[in-house]
Amino acid sequence: MEIIAIILLILLVGSMLTFLIDSFSSKLTGITAFLFSLAASVVFFTQIPSGYQFKFQLAGLDLQWGLTDYSYYFAYIIFGMSVLALLYSIKYMEGKGRLGYFYGSFLLTILGMFGVVISQDFVSLFIFWEIMTWASFLLVIYNAYYKVKTKGVKYMIFSAIGAYAMLTAIVFIRVHYDTLLISEAIAKGAFNFEQYIYIPIFLLLGFSIKAAVMPFHVWAPSAYSKSPMSFTTIFSGAMSKMGVFGIGLVFTSIYLGTNPENFYWVRTILGWLGGITAVMGTIYALIQTDAKKLLAYSSVAQLGYIVVGLSTGTKLGIMAALYLTVIHAVFKGALFMVAGAVEKQAGTTDMTKISGLIRRMPWTFLVALVSIIALAGMPPVGGFVGKWLLYEALITESNNYILVVVVFFSSTAAFLYSYRFLYGLFLGQEEKDTKDVKEAPITMLIPMLILMIIAIVSGAVPGLIFEPAAKAMEAIGFQDVTWQMSSLTNLWGDTTNLGLISMLIGAVFVIVFVFITLKGYKNTKDVGTKDISTSGEIPKEWENLSFQQDFFQPFQRAAAPLYSMNMNKIWKNLGENLEAFFGFFRKLYTGNGQTYALYVVIFLVVLLLFKDVIFS
Amino acid sequence: MMEFQALFEQYRDLITIAVYGTAIALIVIGLYAVLMKKHLVKIVIGLSIMDAGIHLLFVAIGYISGGTAPIFSPGNENAGARMVDPVPQALVLTAIVIGFAVTALALSLVIRLYKHHHTANIDQLNSLKW
Amino acid sequence: MVITPVHYIVAPLIAAFAIPLLIKIHKDAARIVPGIVLFYNVIVSLFLMNHIAEHGMISETLAGWQAPWGINLVVTPFTGFLATMVSILGFIIWLYGYRFKRTLKGGEVKYYEILQMMMIAGSIGIIITGDIFNMFVFIEIVGISAFSLTAFYRSRDGAEAGFKYLLIGGFASAFLLLGILIIYTQTGTLNMAQIAERMPDVPQQMKIVALIFFLVALGIEAEMFPLNGWAPDAYSQAPSPTSATFAAVVSVAGVYALIRVVFTMFDVEGVNNYLMVMGFVTMLIAEIAAISQKDLKRMLAYSSVGQVGLVLIAFGIGSNLAVFGALFLMLNHGVIKSLLFMAGSYFIYNTDDKKIKSLNGIYKKLPIVSFFFALGALAIIGFPPFSGFWSKFYILISAADEKYVFLIIGILLVTIIELTYYLRVVGRIYFAKQEGEPASHKPSINALVAMSSLALFIIVIGVYPDLIMPHIQSAADALLDKSNYIQQILSIKN
Repeated sequence: MEIIAIILLILLVGSMLTFLIDSFSSKLTGITAFLFSLAASVVFFTQIPSGYQFKFQLAGLDLQWGLTDYSYYFAYIIFGMSVLALLYSIKYMEGKGRLGYFYGSFLLTILGMFGVVISQDFVSLFIFWEIMTWASFLLVIYNAYYKVKTKGVKYMIFSAIGAYAMLTAIVFIRVHYDTLLISEAIAKGAFNFEQYIYIPIFLLLGFSIKAAVMPFHVWAPSAYSKSPMSFTTIFSGAMSKMGVFGIGLVFTSIYLGTNPENFYWVRTILGWLGGITAVMGTIYALIQTDAKKLLAYSSVAQLGYIVVGLSTGTKLGIMAALYLTVIHAVFKGALFMVAGAVEKQAGTTDMTKISGLIRRMPWTFLVALVSIIALAGMPPVGGFVGKWLLYEALITESNNYILVVVVFFSSTAAFLYSYRFLYGLFLGQEEKDTKDVKEAPITMLIPMLILMIIAIVSGAVPGLIFEPAAKAMEAIGFQDVTWQMSSLTNLWGDTTNLGLISMLIGAVFVIVFVFITLKGYKNTKDVGTKDISTSGEIPKEWENLSFQQDFFQPFQRAAAPLYSMNMNKIWKNLGENLEAFFGFFRKLYTGNGQTYALYVVIFLVVLLLFKDVIFS
Repeated sequence: MMEFQALFEQYRDLITIAVYGTAIALIVIGLYAVLMKKHLVKIVIGLSIMDAGIHLLFVAIGYISGGTAPIFSPGNENAGARMVDPVPQALVLTAIVIGFAVTALALSLVIRLYKHHHTANIDQLNSLKW
Repeated sequence: MVITPVHYIVAPLIAAFAIPLLIKIHKDAARIVPGIVLFYNVIVSLFLMNHIAEHGMISETLAGWQAPWGINLVVTPFTGFLATMVSILGFIIWLYGYRFKRTLKGGEVKYYEILQMMMIAGSIGIIITGDIFNMFVFIEIVGISAFSLTAFYRSRDGAEAGFKYLLIGGFASAFLLLGILIIYTQTGTLNMAQIAERMPDVPQQMKIVALIFFLVALGIEAEMFPLNGWAPDAYSQAPSPTSATFAAVVSVAGVYALIRVVFTMFDVEGVNNYLMVMGFVTMLIAEIAAISQKDLKRMLAYSSVGQVGLVLIAFGIGSNLAVFGALFLMLNHGVIKSLLFMAGSYFIYNTDDKKIKSLNGIYKKLPIVSFFFALGALAIIGFPPFSGFWSKFYILISAADEKYVFLIIGILLVTIIELTYYLRVVGRIYFAKQEGEPASHKPSINALVAMSSLALFIIVIGVYPDLIMPHIQSAADALLDKSNYIQQILSIKN
């Protein structure tokens, strides 16, 4: 039996087994799921080299599974994140119901994602894509009591629109290019925007929806924040990256095309969509009072950066996107784990209700701090390197200066919500009801700490990620991607020593930090969270005086027009109008037998009258 | 018998028109009853009339003027040349039986409906809709 | 040949007359005998399929009259495939309904079982007959059984649905007779193969008028919009095993009749476009109507109509691949929709009304049934790796081959509507807050066996479709090879 099939089988059997084990012992389910995912990744990393291929026939179609360096790169993310997330889940999910259901779907989702990256033909790609989608749907609605109708189904509808757009593209690729193999289709120019323009556009549509690009992002915030946090870790960390994976594939034709200038408009449009996604995601993240929701919007924004990077179509830009892909998975995974830990230990993630957890959960705070630094793109952590690459690509190689401003604006604004997340949950005075909160259990801390260490190391030695990323880029058609352990050479041969830069800035940062802390330490005094100066006004009783309330009110006022432009509302109206419209057609079935009989006769008469038009 | 034959030959076209006309008239009347009448029993009657019209049309088409009964008998071996087409008659017999069954079932349903709704107006029987 | 196609029809007929006698001997005879008969039909099907795989198609003539004159029963790979499918599904539905309404008096069960058996046998008859008038007779047998079964619960709504069905069914038989009449006057024969042979000589206008009568009459049986007003009522009011039979057996027979007439008998151009357009309209309107249904079975009914619309679209595309997809979809729809009706029936059994909103959290009461329902919902939407995916995929590929871009987009948009309402129900079952008392009616073992076998089919075929694809392929080839059909039937001398 083929080794790749064995991995899929391990995951499948694991999924069924966990589902069944739940009836006997719900404690064992988490461990079982973790062990199975670990086994699958061990088998994968030890047994399957890059370049592996496996061909077979199913349903009269030639299917092919295999791994290139490009898919290997994403497999790292999938297995890495999954194993950590499952380890984290063991304690996080403890005491919740329907664990078999949860872990079974979890492993199926991993199977789907793994299948997507190993698919080398479109049919398997679509099949695994759909498995991934419905398995994750089952997890999204896991928590969504009462709200299935709006929340979970919204995710599914958008996913289905995307998947069916892909399917349309796939069937036409088969017709026009007579192949279902991805590599062959690329070689024949299937993703070329010149011949059959709807094929790449439909594919891009499908992948962008999974990557939650504007204006299709509306499913993401609620889906991310409503799922159990241990799943959101891979939902946002790994699954949304499948969209990135696909966009990267489609764009190969742009890099490889004979005259890439012709596709400039595609890149511009996608770049702007990415930019707008980044801005909108960020400004919505600002006004959230729930930490989970904040992170969810932030994920949307981060995916925007990645799309911007991809859209540049230059080596540096793609490298930035790939780098951000990993680093986003790492720090956002860690942050969602932090949010989950807080939720588990303190019972809520509403930032208006809790604060000062630093005393109770110091390790969790440490992880949150490092991850937030990475998220904000500050040195010396990995996020900085990605941001640097992105700006460099935008400024020096794509000349799209307005987009630079947009991205820069959004990443500056990201500081605001990063600060809020950190401050809201961990800093400030303690609330009385969080006095007896305990540090997260060790199995939850370990994955968080591992992710934190990855974030730090990748900032210091970015080459660790450059190496596989460069290989991945070569696999999709770039040549001579030059990189060193801590530096990257751009188009003109300028070498940027990113590790050094990030270390230097980090050092300055630490010095300033120490200085300010020492300076300010003496002047601090303890006040309650709700004891704030009200500038002479007497607060009314119902006014919530927590700092977190209206935290960014001035900003919010300034950006009011942006907030009123709510995509969510637009989609909702569309849905409601459609249903009302459908209701009209439903009335055709009047319930009166005679009317039905009349329909029959009228239909007959119409056919007879127009018989020469219809039948010739 | 011969007189009848002669008489038939004389009004042949008229009779043909009359038979076909009756058949089509029956179908139209039946359709009218089914589509316009509100009483359930009248609708069932309309269905029956429509069926009757179609059956008449069948028989009329199979008829050959001056044809004999479609029976081969000793001394009448070459009857095939002038006999009425037997197939439509067989079909009509079957169709009549089926029509009978459908009508019986329909009437029993009408009784059931009347018991439940205390009305036989089809416009009031629309609790299942949309 | 020990077993011949006529066994399909003779066995149920004998049983139908024997049951009232046998019931005097043993009170469960009314339940068991139809099962034996339906199982015998499965054996007949498998035997015949095996036989035609070796010796080519069978055309059995009845009462010693040879093909064009007598009535003949034809088993080609196409009709054999459908007959096999229908008889197996019929048997599974019998198995499911074995304990159906134990509380009813013996007499009631007797009528139910006999009617159910006759409906399935009649559907097989429609499929295997080679004679157009014989097809009419079988359609009426199915019709009368179906009308009675729809009104089987002597309830207010049941009678209403039954009457509507009967009214529209009456039109169907009238128009079908008129169509047969025109064809008979023009070709002088009732044998479908011979009609097809003589069809080129028929004047174009006559041909089209006859075709229109057939299209309307059989469109009613095939649930084509706007002729399908009866369908949602009948599906929702009939006893649940009967609803499953409507979806899995009767609609298959109806579509078969339409396709046989259109593809084999007539050679009119434009009819493919007609099927495609009407199929799409049917699918669209049905799914649109389904999305706001409050009654579970009614929603499933509209969904069935929508699936039949998709089948008609695929037949309308008309290429070999499309017909293959259509047959695959008929099979899948039969299996999946039966499963959904079976599972849905247990939900209804456990709630006071048939409303979707009372399904909240029913997963806790009926875990296995809920699982089957969710599986069926995912499969019918067409998610891989379930069998529904492959049929939809092949239909889309065949549409792409003919470059029908908008048709593909249309089908997929309608699928999104379908997905929305199915997942709402699944969401309710699993995730809505449960209200009310614990389970009162657990599924019986025979129902579980029936549902498991269907679920197994969905998964196995979904993962490995090659198991069934060669059969469907030869069925599609047999349907499209019209000249071979004509030649074989007219030359086979018993």
